[in-house]
Amino acid sequence: MSRILAGELKMHVQRMKPEVVPEGGPAPIVVFIHGLLIDSLASYYFSLGPAFSAAGIDVIMYDLRGHGRTERPESGYRLEQFVSDLDALLGELDVTEPVHLVGNSFGGSVAFGYAATHPERVATVTCIEGEPPVDSWISNMKYILDRAKTELAQEETITWFAQEHGHHQARVFQAVGQFVQKTTIADDIPASARIEPDLSALTCPVFAIFGGDSELSEQVPWLEASLASCRTVVIPDQGHSVLVQKTAQTTELIVEWVREHSRSVLVEAN
Amino acid sequence: MSIDTTAPEQTGEVAVLAEVSGILRVLLDEYGLDDAEIAMDTKFHDDLELESIDLVGLSGQLREHYGDKINFAAFIAERGLEEIIQLTVGDLVDYIVASLRKG
Repeated sequence: MSRILAGELKMHVQRMKPEVVPEGGPAPIVVFIHGLLIDSLASYYFSLGPAFSAAGIDVIMYDLRGHGRTERPESGYRLEQFVSDLDALLGELDVTEPVHLVGNSFGGSVAFGYAATHPERVATVTCIEGEPPVDSWISNMKYILDRAKTELAQEETITWFAQEHGHHQARVFQAVGQFVQKTTIADDIPASARIEPDLSALTCPVFAIFGGDSELSEQVPWLEASLASCRTVVIPDQGHSVLVQKTAQTTELIVEWVREHSRSVLVEAN
Repeated sequence: MSIDTTAPEQTGEVAVLAEVSGILRVLLDEYGLDDAEIAMDTKFHDDLELESIDLVGLSGQLREHYGDKINFAAFIAERGLEEIIQLTVGDLVDYIVASLRKG
């Protein structure tokens, strides 16, 4: 396991080097950022990571603070702290060229937060089923975190999970319950710094992917009207778990996006 | 049934299972589950209670041990993320044995 000290935390990072070297320039660097509470870099390591590496992309995956095998401090979970972690990580990895950020759900908000505060370090942002960190995002996060904090603390919720979804799923949610009980994450995230809803802080090209059945897809007109350079794709009959349910399609869409926004020529996806 | 007389012993199923079990025991030891029995039909999730992030660690150790011939990440990626939960030790052993013989 690769843990490196980045900023104040030991962070778990995995890198997949490009399997082939692209022509005409260095391999583009993609940084994958996973979702909140139940997620870890494993979601990419066993899905998009290998496909991106095969396409000639330099892949960086890491566990967010408190998640996976990165350290879990008791406090310090405002979005800007996740953003500082990413900056410290890229510094430790000696990454100097602008990177393509790919964030799923909460990871999308981290990507937007980083792009807004470090525009010179970001080539593009891809956001899968996520939101820019504006006021409405704060209310959505507060709702989800408050529910997690109260409901997952109850024994009967976990028993219900076990009956409905099996022992494994119950264990996962029990772990989430401990995360929100034993740290200040549920209070910290709603206290995060936010960006203006005109999205003027976001200057890089943005690619947003949504599931058609997810309420988050309602952001499409706003994103397209506000951002200088924006592409959106809504995958029909899908909810929030587009990345898991439609892995191949998501991979193809994002590899193509990176290819278009990269100076070097990547290997054709097959 | 064919007998591959050229395959060295360490690439056979029994040897690979022993090797994988050894790596898993170190992982499980960290969780105080080191007395778990490990066989071909043992499930990573249901029986060993490993999470997908543990399989990332396992993947790294396999690469360290067997080299680039073993790409566990790509092996799982081909099967789909949701199948990780069903994965057995035997699935992994079969994959390693096949990869080493291709070698």
